[in-house]
Formats: sequence, C-alpha cells, structure tokens
Amino acid sequence: MDRRSIVLVEDNPDDQFLAVRALSRLVDKSAIHVLNDGQEALDCLLGSPLTLPSIDLDSIAVILLDIKLPKINGLEVLRALRSSPRAQWIPVVMVTSTDEPHELVDAYRLGANSYLVKPIDYGEFKARMEVLANYWLNVNSIPLVESGERNG
Amino acid sequence: MTSMDYWRSLPLKAKLLLLTLSVSCLGIVLVCISLVVVEHQAYKKQLESELITVASILAEQSAAAVLFRDQNQLDTIIASLRQIETIEQVCIYDANGEVLSSFQEKAGEVCPSTSGTLDEGFSEKHYTMMRPILIEGDAVGSFYLKSRLQVLREHIRKFILYALVISVTIISILVLIAFKLQRLVSQPIQELSDAVETIARDEDYSVRVRVAGDDELGRLGAAFNDMISTIQQQNRRITRSKDELERVVETRTAQLRLANSELEAFSYSVSHDLRQPLRAIEGFGLALEEDCADRLDDTGRDYLRRIRAATIRMGSLIDGLLILSRVSRKQLDVDVIDLSAMLREIVEELEEVDAAKKSVIEIEEGMKVTGDERLLRIAFQNLLQNAWKYSSRQSERRIRVSSDRQSETITVRIDDNGVGFDMKYVDKLFVSFNRLHSPSDFPGSGLGLATVYRIVNRHAGSVRAESAVDRGATFFVELPRKPDDS
Repeated sequence: MDRRSIVLVEDNPDDQFLAVRALSRLVDKSAIHVLNDGQEALDCLLGSPLTLPSIDLDSIAVILLDIKLPKINGLEVLRALRSSPRAQWIPVVMVTSTDEPHELVDAYRLGANSYLVKPIDYGEFKARMEVLANYWLNVNSIPLVESGERNG
Repeated sequence: MTSMDYWRSLPLKAKLLLLTLSVSCLGIVLVCISLVVVEHQAYKKQLESELITVASILAEQSAAAVLFRDQNQLDTIIASLRQIETIEQVCIYDANGEVLSSFQEKAGEVCPSTSGTLDEGFSEKHYTMMRPILIEGDAVGSFYLKSRLQVLREHIRKFILYALVISVTIISILVLIAFKLQRLVSQPIQELSDAVETIARDEDYSVRVRVAGDDELGRLGAAFNDMISTIQQQNRRITRSKDELERVVETRTAQLRLANSELEAFSYSVSHDLRQPLRAIEGFGLALEEDCADRLDDTGRDYLRRIRAATIRMGSLIDGLLILSRVSRKQLDVDVIDLSAMLREIVEELEEVDAAKKSVIEIEEGMKVTGDERLLRIAFQNLLQNAWKYSSRQSERRIRVSSDRQSETITVRIDDNGVGFDMKYVDKLFVSFNRLHSPSDFPGSGLGLATVYRIVNRHAGSVRAESAVDRGATFFVELPRKPDDS
C-alpha cells in the first residue's frame, strides 16, 4: 500500500497552520492529519478501549511529533507507539522548540527516527520541512507489518 | 640497650621500689659494717684484758717456782694453762733467758729468745706477750705467752652472720612496707597514665581520675580533670556547631538544588515558550509577504522585513541566554583536549560561512589543554568568531593563536588585527548584554564574551583582554594545567 499521509501532533494552532502550510507544497492537505495533543494522538493512532484507530496506520509515511504536548507528552506517545506491534515501525520525527540535550537523548533512546528543532526563521523551517517530507514520503521504505505478527 | 635506657623503661612502681630498697640496703650494710668494726675492737680489748689477767696470775704463781727452780711446780702451772683452749704456746724462762718449762701445741715450735726483739700484741692470727716474772720488783725470769685469735674470728664471724640474718629480715620487712607504701605515690600516677591512655585510644573524654590529697599528685590529678572537662566541653561545642553547620549546609544544598531545578524548568520554558510566539510572528510575516505581496507597497514590505529581522535577532538572543545558562549548569567532563585541532575546525567553519576576505590564520601546533571539550569549544568559538567579526573591515584579516606554558597554567593568546576597543571599557567586556559596538556596526547578542568568561571560570581559569582602538585586540585565556597534558 502506498504511504502518502503525514500525521502532525502539535498543540499550537499557529504552529499547526505554519507546518501545514510548509508541507502543503508536497502533500495534499487532506493527507495531513493534525492531532492536537498526546491523548488524541494515542486515540487516533492506537485506538482506545471503546474506539478503533481513526487513521489507517498503513497509510502513514511519517509522524511529526512535538515533545511538549498537553495531557500526554510527545515522549510518552513515542513510547506507546514503539511498544505497539502495529505502529512500531512507523517513522517518528520529533519536531520541537528546544534542543535540550537530555530530551534529545531520551527521544533517540525511545526509538525516534529523527529530531528536528523548529527554527525561528520560517524560510529555514519551510526548507527543512520540504526536505523532510520529501525524504520520508519518496525515499524511505518501511517494513510491512504482517497481520497477526506480534512483536514487542 | 644501655642501663640508662633500661632504667627509663622500668615502670614507676619498680623505680620507687628499687630506690627505696637500695637506699635502705646501703644504710643497713653501712650500719652492719660499723657494728662489726666496733665489735671487733671491743672483743679484742676484752680478749687482751683476759689474757693479761691470766698472765698476771701466771707470773704470780710461777715466781717462787722460777726462783727455786721447782720444775714440778712449773710443769703443774704449765699443765693448768693447757686447759685454756686458746693458748697455743707458753714458755717460762729464768733470769738468764733459758727455758725452764714450755708447752706448745704444734710440735717442733721453739720458744723465742728473750734477748731478741719480739712483736708483742696482736698479729694476724695470734696475740703474743713477753712478761717479766717479778719478786718484790726484781726480775727472776720471764714468760712468753702466745694465744690463738680463732675465738675472736669465730666471734666476729658469728656476729656477721647474725647481722646478715637480721639485715635480711629487716630488708624483707622493708620490701613489704615499701611495696605497700609505693602505691601511695605510684597509684595516682598509674591512674593518671591509664586515664591518658584511655582518652588517647578511645577518645573518651568522660574519663576522670580519683583525686586524693592536696600534694603535687593531688593537684596534678585535679588539674588533669579540669583540663579534660574543658576539652570535653569544647568537643561538645565543636560537635554542636558542626552539626549546626551540617544542617545549614544541608538546608542550603536543598535550597540550591531547588533553585537549580527551578532554573532548569525556567530555561526550558524560556526556550520553548518564548520561541513559539516568535516563530509565529516570523512565520506569519513571511506568509504575509508571500501570500499578500501584491497588496503591499515597498514601505509595507520594508516594515515586514524589519519585523522579521527583529524577530530572528530576538531568537538568537534567547539562544545565547540558553547557552549561557547551560554553561553554568552543565557538569564538566574533563579530558585532555587537542586545542590546536579544535581551533582549526572552528576556523574551517568560519571560512565556510564567510570566505570573501583574504584571511591569514596562524594556529600554534600541539597546544593541549585540560577541560570539558564541549564547553571549551563554545568558548573558543566565541573568541575566534569575535576576532573574525571585528577584523572583517581590514583589507587582510590576521588572526594568530599562540600559547605560553607555565608550570601550573597554560595561557592561550588570541591576537587579531581588528577594530579593537578602548581599554577604558574593558570592565564591561565580559558582562552579559554589554556591547562595545552598535549592532549596526557589528551584529551580536552581547552574550558571547559573558559565556566565555563563565566557561573559563568554571575551569578555574581566567580571561582578560588588551586592546587599543584600531590596533586589534588580544585575548588571554589562562587555564590550569594537569601534569599529563604535557
């Protein structure tokens, strides 16, 4: 199946708007799923006891995950994704405001695929997002998750 | 070990005992010797007078017999003298000196002649006497008497034996008494010494000695107790203040830890929350420029450009502050660093960004310093960036880095041929947000040298600068040397 969609987990509406605007040159807006906090991310990606995942995991090319999120922070979301057999291989790029060394280390330890500090210069941000989207959409390959495969 | 050392190593008890005993023994021996001498003399006198009595009786009894040459009578007299055990030889002479009768214990002993001189009185083993036999004042003959002194010797020997027995008895009694009495002196000293040892070993200052009497020992004991009480009190005071100090340190440490974690949380939120609105301002500024360019005139576009430039500058200020706060918080990972290699890398980065101007960069080979590589890189990056930036107006940029190794420090010197600064502002050089040049002349956050100062300070080093306007600037970074960074 072709992986064409991008999930953006970001709580700030301005950042949401600017990120979607930067990505929209490469991806159709309908292929960008914007989730507002960690809880929503877990519900939509992994489902809850009452609901099924609302996003088809097999269509996701990359998840852009902010670290500082309300309710459940980005690192916890990352941990949950990595311990889920269905989502464990989905590329996760941490997109964050800070380059706190210990957060960087924690992110990689929990299995982040990349770490991007949002620059203040929007031109620079756009350029980085384009490179990033291009790479994860068009260059990268992900192993298929066989139905019934259980792997932790 | 000499006898003196042996004496010193003896316990006090034994010393006292030995002293008492030797003095009393000496006394007893002296008394005994004088008693023996006196007794010897007295006994000799007594012996002599006894013999003289015997002799006078002999002279009286034998006078008639000598006169009439009554041999039988003489022999009877001699025989009666034989009964006296001590008499060894008796000779009776007539007026002409011929022996009339004699008796000798040892056979073959001859009577001495009356004409020759004779040593009368005491000799070594004998007492001898030659006396005339008188009748009404006229000498009718003479007699010779020789007596053994064995009695005297035996008497004296016996006397010495008694003296010895008595002395030994007295000395034994003295030993017992001295043994009991020395405790009076040595016991308090022993106790004192034991107490001192206990205190030295166990550091137990609650030990006290018994104070008995008001002599020197009593006073010594009392003084000792006073001294130990003082020490005990001082110890208690020291312990109390130490405890107090530890409590204060603990409290302060806890406060410091809290302040540190608050600072950390603060800088985290500064970095995250202050940057977010800036990103929005900048981002929407650019979006406005891109999406609504046709509705803006040149003035509007200029304003927009200024808004965005100010925003980016604010962002770099925040970054600088973050670096500065991290420099203070970061734990030092100290290692030996190849400074020359590090400086070359920094220069390469600078040349990549700005290679327009001809630059002559000299970096001394083989410079090594000890410190945290990441922090020192930030420090030297700032210093070289400054040298690079402030020499950008020269026709040819010249930067030279050299070092001077002292015994305990290494001083790294960075010279440039840039615009320099006025030395009267040198105090403001390393203070946050203090700039000696306006941003329009040379851009900068005003945090670079403050960061350098903090990093060098954290390495227990120092940094200073020398310059004159338009004469270039020289920065000196002095860092402590470790023995292994050659």
